[in-house]
Amino acid sequence: MKYFKDLWQTLNKPAKYLTLGSISLTAFIMGIIFWGGFNTALEATNTEEFCISCHSMESKPYQELQATVHWSNNSGVRATCPDCHVPHSWGRKIARKMEASSDVWGWLFQTVNTSEKFEDKRLEMASREWARFERDDSLACKNCHNYNSMKWETMSKLAQKQMKSAAERDQSCVDCHKGIAHTLPEMGTARAPQLIAEVGTGPSSFTNEQPYFSALTKPLYFSPTGDVQAGTLNVATKVTVLASEGDRVKVAIDGWRKKVGLGRVIYFDFGINMLTAQLSKEAAKTDGIINGFEEKEDTMTGLKWQRVETELWTDAEYLITEQKPLWDYARTTFRTSCSVCHTQPDEAHFDANTWPGMFQGMIAFVNMDDDTQALVQKYLQQHSSTFVKEAH
Amino acid sequence: MKRRNFLKAILATSFTIASTASVLTPLSALAKVGAKNRDDWLTTGSHFGAFRMKRKNGVIDQVKPFELDKYPTDMINGIKGLVYNPSRIRYPMVRLDFLLKGHKSDTRQRGDFRFVRVTWDQALTLFKQSLDEIQTNYGPSGLHAGQTGWRATGQLHSCTSHMQRAVGMHGNFVKKIGDYSTGAGQTILPYVLGSTEVYAQGTSWPLILDNANTIILWANDPYKNLQVGWNAETHESFKYLAQLKEKIKQGKIRVISIDPVATKTQNYLGCEKIYVNPQTDVALMLAIAYELYSNNLHDKEFIKAYSLGFDRFVPYLTGAEDGIAKDVLWAEKITGVPSDVIKALAKTMVSGRTQLLMGWCIQRQQHGEQPYWMAAVLATMIGQIGLPGGGISYGHHYSSIGVPSSGAAAPGAFPRNLDEGQAPLFNNEDFKGASSTIPVARWVDAILEPGKVIDANGAKVTYPDIKMMVFSGNNPWSHHQDRNRMKQAFHKLECVVSIDINWTATCRFSDIVLPACTTMERNDIDIYGSYANRGVLAMQKMVEPLYDSLSDYEIFTRFAKILGKEKEYTRGMSEFDWLKKLYNDCKADNDGKFVMPEFEQFWQDGYVHFGDGEPWTRHADFREDPEINPLGTPSGMIEIHSRKIERYQYDDCKGHPIWMEKKERSHGGPGSDKHPIWMQSCHPNKRLHSQMCESQEYRQTYAIQNREPVYLNPEDAKHRGIKNGDVVRVFNDRGQLLAGAVVSNNFPKGVIRIEEGAWYGPVGNDGSVNGGTEIGALCSYGDPNTLTLDIGSSKLAQACSAYTCLVDYEKFTGKLPAVSSFNGPLEIGV
Repeated sequence: MKYFKDLWQTLNKPAKYLTLGSISLTAFIMGIIFWGGFNTALEATNTEEFCISCHSMESKPYQELQATVHWSNNSGVRATCPDCHVPHSWGRKIARKMEASSDVWGWLFQTVNTSEKFEDKRLEMASREWARFERDDSLACKNCHNYNSMKWETMSKLAQKQMKSAAERDQSCVDCHKGIAHTLPEMGTARAPQLIAEVGTGPSSFTNEQPYFSALTKPLYFSPTGDVQAGTLNVATKVTVLASEGDRVKVAIDGWRKKVGLGRVIYFDFGINMLTAQLSKEAAKTDGIINGFEEKEDTMTGLKWQRVETELWTDAEYLITEQKPLWDYARTTFRTSCSVCHTQPDEAHFDANTWPGMFQGMIAFVNMDDDTQALVQKYLQQHSSTFVKEAH
Repeated sequence: MKRRNFLKAILATSFTIASTASVLTPLSALAKVGAKNRDDWLTTGSHFGAFRMKRKNGVIDQVKPFELDKYPTDMINGIKGLVYNPSRIRYPMVRLDFLLKGHKSDTRQRGDFRFVRVTWDQALTLFKQSLDEIQTNYGPSGLHAGQTGWRATGQLHSCTSHMQRAVGMHGNFVKKIGDYSTGAGQTILPYVLGSTEVYAQGTSWPLILDNANTIILWANDPYKNLQVGWNAETHESFKYLAQLKEKIKQGKIRVISIDPVATKTQNYLGCEKIYVNPQTDVALMLAIAYELYSNNLHDKEFIKAYSLGFDRFVPYLTGAEDGIAKDVLWAEKITGVPSDVIKALAKTMVSGRTQLLMGWCIQRQQHGEQPYWMAAVLATMIGQIGLPGGGISYGHHYSSIGVPSSGAAAPGAFPRNLDEGQAPLFNNEDFKGASSTIPVARWVDAILEPGKVIDANGAKVTYPDIKMMVFSGNNPWSHHQDRNRMKQAFHKLECVVSIDINWTATCRFSDIVLPACTTMERNDIDIYGSYANRGVLAMQKMVEPLYDSLSDYEIFTRFAKILGKEKEYTRGMSEFDWLKKLYNDCKADNDGKFVMPEFEQFWQDGYVHFGDGEPWTRHADFREDPEINPLGTPSGMIEIHSRKIERYQYDDCKGHPIWMEKKERSHGGPGSDKHPIWMQSCHPNKRLHSQMCESQEYRQTYAIQNREPVYLNPEDAKHRGIKNGDVVRVFNDRGQLLAGAVVSNNFPKGVIRIEEGAWYGPVGNDGSVNGGTEIGALCSYGDPNTLTLDIGSSKLAQACSAYTCLVDYEKFTGKLPAVSSFNGPLEIGV
């Protein structure tokens, strides 16, 4: 205790023997020494050894890098971690180091210490790097790669075209070259999660000869096991289940098709452009897949239509027992999303064949994934003036 | 140097270093909602772009463009004037006679600008009582609260949503369909190309620049119109226009602008130009089609594979049907375009890749459906729809359409509709046989002729008997046609309510006027780039609401409280709860695709950036597989001839596009002997419609003797003894206005321009403000809609026809009245 008191007194006492000049000089020299030390330490964190001293860095990004041209190539130039991930100028480097303190945090709390955790975080981490590359126009790349030194004539036609146009705009490299040194993150595959949360994924067992409704746009197959697709079944479409096998069911689909092209598109009813199913070219050409019946001309377009039936397989998942929850979800989505900028028109303001044009024309303004879009369009058609007779 | 001073200096230096270092500290450490120092640079956005703003002494001091905005508009200089100007609505106010007599007031006094200041409680109670009276006496068909417009930006405070949700909690009302900008286009194109097109994302600029040999700008002025957007505008299109300019200079792309006037875009790009007589574009298009057809230059394969009804169109084109060949000589007489120019143009269009970029003005006229339909037919004959740099677009001048979209989900908005399960106080849906939805530009007709049945888009519309109107952030006394007709209609209304930031002409003709605060006086959140969807933008409150103004959220929360529905209205959430909800919902929508930080971090940064998008070609999927990706037309194909429209049996919109004479047309057309001049009332260069006209200092950068400029042809002006800077009286049988002369070679003989959005400021014969109630009163500032024609485009769209308008003008020699548009009402004490 006494020691601290003495030290305090010493420090606290005004200088008695030393001149102000010598104190300043000492401080200056100490400053240089500290600065040097700081820089040395800083440089130490800029080496590949430092980067891969963490297990998570060594096991994933570093391994991935080794499989790429940035690791080994004809000219023997190798890009190490800091070449791409640490800016060269002092200001930006310091800022980057500050940012990177979160890596230390991650290491301390083992945020990405397993492969699963790493994969979960991969998109987030990659996005942060992409954003940084974008901010500085991929400066790290351009330290070695220079648009001006590119030898256009040795590039393929396509590469020339793309690169020249990028060069003209001095485009940021990672705009196109994402995933060039590490594996590309999974960009998300869960379809219409809110819709499914609302309507469910459907029953686990099915009653034959009963109607079911598709909760998403679903693939159709020729057989219960093969992976050759025969087409797609549109969302909110009524099918009759004929048989179950493994995780697939055989369904009967009926409707009408236009006699144009291969007649691959099945619609809800004669003269009504409400999508039921789209078949692949192969399916449409295969005998016995589509059974055709009577034909009629739609005088509104002059096109010939034909009533058809088909039986195909689809995944048992996302077939639900009722249509109403789908319409409820669609109604809410329509009324919320389409009233952001203006009053949404009443469903019965347009007919079933006008809605696709109106809806598609505004879709750029609306946040809807493909399944929700298809569902809302079908909802509008199903509740249009074609089916609901109201004065408007 | 004294020791003390030396040490002080050291101390100061180290503070500087320390504070520099703090800039580098991770921002999350500093983040705390609302704890932003209000004197730092804050972030906000507007239709005019995003910016950073700084306060000084409690007042907005500096405004600079947002750092991602590389092409900010000059209008940024008018932003402060939107907040601080003499037209601000300071207090809730009620028209004098309405305050005295309510629904029995003398409505002919409407517009005399005599108002009485009241408290918020009084105003909102009066508002509610008026609605009660209308719903009780007339039911929902007596109330029109569906006329909405351009509002101010912000997803939470978007004023029309607030008004319609709150008024909707009281009772049902008449609504509109369509809008004044694209009414004819958005109605005809679903029949032809299967989508409204006007609001659809278009082929990305980089693909157009890489692939097009020729770009046709048809009645299109993107360099002027891209300055503003529906949400916070990113101005990214200007980057591509700059590249286009460069490509023109290098001879890599030809740009041909077809327009009666020399546009801002023409002058910027230095492109080729073809003059066409106003309103005759269809005749020119037909002649091009004739030229292609008769020289066998049309793409027969494409027409056969992707379209229907060409065979029904050809007999009209060749004249087999009506004995008139729509050839170049026929068109030359109507359009004023020399026949050899038309021939060369036709040839150019089929040599190499040709991108048609259509503007909106040619569908804001009588028969406005026809030029859009005919342009689609032309594009089909050229056969490049669905190819990059080819085909047709109807939107590249709007809100940065053509800038690749990021693909991220954008934040939603405060709900416009009632929540599921909620019901209005007056739960009455009986419109007494009248239509509950009417075409947007026909509401004045409805007030004047209730019960009348009109044709509209294949249906019959019965006009409701409208007795009350509610407007919020919407100025129909700017965008509707024919002021004097409007005045007559307003005599028939019992009550008009306006909620706005500044004293627009609509407020002047209202009974109850409520002051909303500007976007700078509240917290909000916006989409950065309507189509680009470049990110999410924070809109941070700069100053407290001025005077007695309130945010829209606050106004209608108080109103809902009077209805006993406050909790239903707010869902029990505060302004910041809503902001967080909108942000977090957006974050959830982007989960796994785009990384968004926590709300606190976002608010601290001011924005989230989603990055660039991928280039994309409109209709490429259709071209690739028309069977699987059909258009939204009845047939799924391009409909050159529409049986559906043919069956409506309209005389002004037939089964395929045709040339029709207009009710009035310059250059030898009907009415040109009496009023020889065509008046163009295009979108303004230094405003967004009527927004920013009130920005006083900024207005002085273009006003002439305090009046709106009227752009005149030198020869015409000389003939009338008018020179630059003179005050001019522009007139026709519908009305008269004063404007300031700008004589310019950009304008051909027989054409003048007055930009729409100029604030209406009627004055009596004696120059008095309250004389503005008179039918035929002179507009002292220069609102072009004092003169325009109020008719539907056709029985199909029933859209506005502002561009069908003839006038004449003379030098004004009388006693110059003061401009009455600004400065607010005559406040009467009671």
